[in-house]
Amino acid sequence: MGGNHNRFLEIDLSARSTAVTSIDPALFSAFIGGSTLAARLFLDTLDVKRDPLSPDSSLFIMTGPLTGTSFPGSSRFVMCARSPLTGIWGESASGGTFGAELKRAGFDGVIIRGKSTHPCVITVEDQNAAIVDAGDLWGKDTYETIDILRKRGGEERPARVLAIGPAGEHLVKFANVCNDKAHYIGRTGMGAVLGSKRIKAITCRGTGTVPVASEENFRNVRKAALEEIKNSLMSRTFHELGTAAAMELGMTTGDVPIKNWSVGVDYAMGLALGGTAVAEKMLKKRVACYACPIACKPVVVVDDPKYGIAEGPGPEYETLGSFGTMIMNDNIYAVARVNDLCNRLGVETITGGATIAFIMEMYEKGLLTRDDLDGLDMTWGNIDAAIVLVKKIAYREGFGDRAAEGSRALARSIGGEALDCVVEVKGLEPPMHDPRGFHGMGLAYMNSNRGACHLQHSDQAIEMGMVSWNEVGLKDDYPGPVSEGKAEMVYIGENIGQMANSVCVCHFVHWCMGLTNLLDGLNAVTGYGFSLDDFMEAGKRSWVLKRAINNLFGVTAKDDRLPKRILTPLAEGAAEGIIPDMKLMKREYYRIRGLNDEGFPKPELLDSLGLGFIKERLYG
Amino acid sequence: MAKLKVFSDEWCNAWADKIRESKEFPIHNKGWEGDIGCCISKDPKANLPEDKYLYVNFFDGKVLDVRMADKETAENTKFVISGEYIRWKQVARGELDAVKAMMQGKLKLKGNLPYVVKYVKGVQETIKCLVALDSEFPDD
Repeated sequence: MGGNHNRFLEIDLSARSTAVTSIDPALFSAFIGGSTLAARLFLDTLDVKRDPLSPDSSLFIMTGPLTGTSFPGSSRFVMCARSPLTGIWGESASGGTFGAELKRAGFDGVIIRGKSTHPCVITVEDQNAAIVDAGDLWGKDTYETIDILRKRGGEERPARVLAIGPAGEHLVKFANVCNDKAHYIGRTGMGAVLGSKRIKAITCRGTGTVPVASEENFRNVRKAALEEIKNSLMSRTFHELGTAAAMELGMTTGDVPIKNWSVGVDYAMGLALGGTAVAEKMLKKRVACYACPIACKPVVVVDDPKYGIAEGPGPEYETLGSFGTMIMNDNIYAVARVNDLCNRLGVETITGGATIAFIMEMYEKGLLTRDDLDGLDMTWGNIDAAIVLVKKIAYREGFGDRAAEGSRALARSIGGEALDCVVEVKGLEPPMHDPRGFHGMGLAYMNSNRGACHLQHSDQAIEMGMVSWNEVGLKDDYPGPVSEGKAEMVYIGENIGQMANSVCVCHFVHWCMGLTNLLDGLNAVTGYGFSLDDFMEAGKRSWVLKRAINNLFGVTAKDDRLPKRILTPLAEGAAEGIIPDMKLMKREYYRIRGLNDEGFPKPELLDSLGLGFIKERLYG
Repeated sequence: MAKLKVFSDEWCNAWADKIRESKEFPIHNKGWEGDIGCCISKDPKANLPEDKYLYVNFFDGKVLDVRMADKETAENTKFVISGEYIRWKQVARGELDAVKAMMQGKLKLKGNLPYVVKYVKGVQETIKCLVALDSEFPDD
């Protein structure tokens, strides 16, 4: 079987045991890999009463069939568990080299259960694994931890390392996992899940290969995909300006959220925090993930007396938004500084920045006082106060303990008007893309199976016009601030996005190479011989499976909604005066997706996708 | 008033005038330096038997030049944008966003991309002025 070893490393921390297991091979072609295969395996032991941070909860680290091959963008892997932040399905993917290394070590994934009595490190090396005590690492930040573990390897080729920081140790609900001091498993709080199991880090070294069904086909497809990427302006944009280019471009389209989603445009701030500012003021070089021809990751040095940082990962667009425009801070050096701090402490920057923006609004409205905030002056733009608060969050000190629960929990604890100001869907704060500028993105936020997200689908690329995939029925051009006709676009975009997350390929590289190359790459590696219809059907299966899991967690139609703030018109910018028609899009979408009025997949839909076995659990 | 024939001197002058009238253009083009060559591929079926070349030059919020040019002039500018006639027509009619067209590979950009991104609002304002013209295309 190409693309997989059918070997999973199962670790029971309570029993301090490891085992290698395999699954029914048919599950690979049906559920592909990545977060989808994780969801299918997760379902087998799902107990909806189990707390996400309880010892019995399961954590999956999964690769996909392309991970570890030399196919462009095949660096990706994913961590999946019930999210401590949202209480529903959680998944968060990352690039770098860890995924490829895990696959080359002979494992398609790692499944972790139980809880260690002491802080530990899991080491994986060429088909073997061990649980090692790591009490000396507990309390250290992510960079220190990774440096120590890489040095301990003591060989020419250091291990790849995933590590949590103090935030994960203190079970901050949006703690991230640092991946080789350069990449992050950010969303949905997987760092807290690791912390709850007392896992400080996971190291991996692999020297094997990934089986490929047809080497010749693979070579040809890879060549075609690389050529397409080379000719793509999007690829050039990502390389020359990184994701931060979305700041300047987004200001013209109403994409960038400002002042906790209450202001429509600020061109000066866009220029101060955009891709050109990163390139001109701090960029040292760009680096690439494994098998990536684009190289979009910024490595920066900030030479500033107050906010200076040593060479390290620079802020991506999302962080420039969350700790920039969202909190009215136009000092790009300060964003780089807080980004570096979050990286080291293990705080996810979207939820982190969005929660702080919400706190600033509460402070402005008098719903949180200086007394509540341990004396901090959380005035808009006060980045120094934000920096202090990030540290308090990571260690759950004082008010940081409340903020560490995320913005939804904080808003509920404040109550009243706070509930109108908090911006989240299913407990997850949206990324920095305003649905008033792109209504389809709003619908995608409503439906996303991990809460508001821009990477559970391909709608960003489609609706913003970065791609044009007519072969699956998409149009060339979708005007952003329009709701009509968006349900079908989102439906198709979700099915494609789910496949990118199953196959485990970088969305950016995938957008640049196109849909056909991705399908051909999957077929060359696995030998499945999927048609485009098969490919889309598998994406559909993935979305419906995760939706069913969320239904078991209690998600219903009432949870598919946009927050009040997003349904409030902006006074300026490209989306001035226009809001998404949530009811229209939801009605159309439910019909197309095959959900009943309660938001459950209809029994016939489950049957048609080979998911009939869930019916009894869903419908009793 | 008669429609302006696309690629005529009158059409070029009207576009330049429209940009000069814009209140937004000088704000968002402030600091810009550089000329742009637009290369439009021939399309005999659309009544465009020859390639067309347009030369546009802005400086710090001011319009220096908008005129038809020869191939050599257009291709030796700081920024060269090329593509099929139908795509240019869609852009000029407001049916296709120029930035999206470049991202989707329908128009090709040669030149310093970060510079264009920095001034993207200014670029969009010039297109807005173009769309505002009452243009008559060769295949209308």
